Amino acid sequence: MNNSQDLPLKNDIAARFLPLIIGSMVYVGTLCFVFTLFILSATHLWENQLRTQITLEVPTSSLQAQVLQVLGKTPGIQQAAAVPKKEVETLLQSLLGTTLPVDLQALPVLIEISLNGRESLDVPMLEARLKTISPQIQLVDHRPWQTQVESLINASVVLASTLTFLVLLTALVTTTFATRTSLLIHRQVIEVLHLIGATNGYIARQFQVHALKQGLIASAIGAAFAFLTFLGITTLLEKAGLPSTSLSSFSLQAFCVFALSPFVTGFFMMLSARLTVMRGLHL
Amino acid sequence: MSDCIAQFVGVGHEYKKGAEIFKGATFNIEPGSFHFLTGPSGSGKSSLLKMLYLGLKPTWGSIRLFGEDPLKIKPSLLPLLRQQVGVVFQEFKLLDHLKVIDNVSLPLRVRGVEAKRSYRDARELLHWVGLGDSLQSYPATLSGGQQQRVAIARAVITRPQLLLADEPTGNVDDDMAIKLLHLFEELNKMGTAIVIATHNQRLLDRSPYPQLTIRRGTIVRTPKRSLP
Repeated sequence: MNNSQDLPLKNDIAARFLPLIIGSMVYVGTLCFVFTLFILSATHLWENQLRTQITLEVPTSSLQAQVLQVLGKTPGIQQAAAVPKKEVETLLQSLLGTTLPVDLQALPVLIEISLNGRESLDVPMLEARLKTISPQIQLVDHRPWQTQVESLINASVVLASTLTFLVLLTALVTTTFATRTSLLIHRQVIEVLHLIGATNGYIARQFQVHALKQGLIASAIGAAFAFLTFLGITTLLEKAGLPSTSLSSFSLQAFCVFALSPFVTGFFMMLSARLTVMRGLHL
Repeated sequence: MSDCIAQFVGVGHEYKKGAEIFKGATFNIEPGSFHFLTGPSGSGKSSLLKMLYLGLKPTWGSIRLFGEDPLKIKPSLLPLLRQQVGVVFQEFKLLDHLKVIDNVSLPLRVRGVEAKRSYRDARELLHWVGLGDSLQSYPATLSGGQQQRVAIARAVITRPQLLLADEPTGNVDDDMAIKLLHLFEELNKMGTAIVIATHNQRLLDRSPYPQLTIRRGTIVRTPKRSLP
């Protein structure tokens, strides 16, 4: 017995490819959105590091103790420590490979300075005091190019958000066109429904229930594939050396996006179908 | 006159191609009345019925249905007017993708009647019109006469205030035609006003009900007569 489908919407030629289109859109859309979240999450971590860390290059290890003593007395510095030679070696090997011989003794000592954030560091004064120890000591302050990095990040976020929005918009426009075509295909059945007293709302409900079902199923499949792609990408990123801590915090957000996207898509498809039918029947 | 179910005053209609079907049709349909609508082929019987079920707008004149002017009321209220009218279409207009029982119960579902009750009523009615074995069949698998009975069952299931039937006996034998007429009469006794458009002279001869005859673009009313 038939309870909800007085219109044969399942057999529509126009709507046959809709699940495929919606599934693909959701796949691209969720990945774009998750990418946006990833950029925001990762850059938050980087921004913190850029804002609170400075690196010193000291030409020889004999000057290390003297430099650390000066740093210890400088206001605004929370902690200063030399980067272990082993870490420097690993860093260089990841950039140059293992085949090139590296003389670690000839390399400058790297000192990482963590700022406390409460007091401001007087960089010119610190530089002047360090030059009295050795003119070859170099202070690498990352903060001046933080603004440029922020601009780049913002641009990426805007781009990814725009893509997500465009994908959602395309999905809605596709649903609207498919619904309009359905209205034309079934105009005779709709006429009969009207003549036996069906309201526009009753007819619209048939379309919106169908759109909701299609949206839920298609976008669940799209989101599942996007989730698998996401898992693959994060595994590759972890293998490439991205700290897993930067991924773990955002993984929960990403999972929520994948889990909610079918419901959000289904809801908007349902809404789009209803508005299209109500408007179409009113004209 | 405001308690009339339908009131036509000087109604005329002209199709886009210029074919004029009425010049000034004036008549009333009272509650509980029974009328036959007759006239030669092409005289406009179906068009007149279409105007009664709000499927066609008049080119001139005025129509009132259940006291309302359908051209002036809010579009959202039109379904409420249509829900008081049952229609048996000449070409049946059954929904081919729905089973017979779904077709017949459709008007009840549209009115929000719960599924269990609407299917129970549809089953009873289909048994009554002799289609108890075809509940789960699709219309396309039925004969013309069977489809006509399904269409009649769909039109009467809601016990409408006004029942319009366009050649309802056109595809059935005489026995079934008499049986269907009895069904309409039973419905009429319960207060439903009936208008049947027909060519069936035998049906007209054996019925005492008044006739609305379309003649040269106007409606001529023949009063109720006593049968010999």
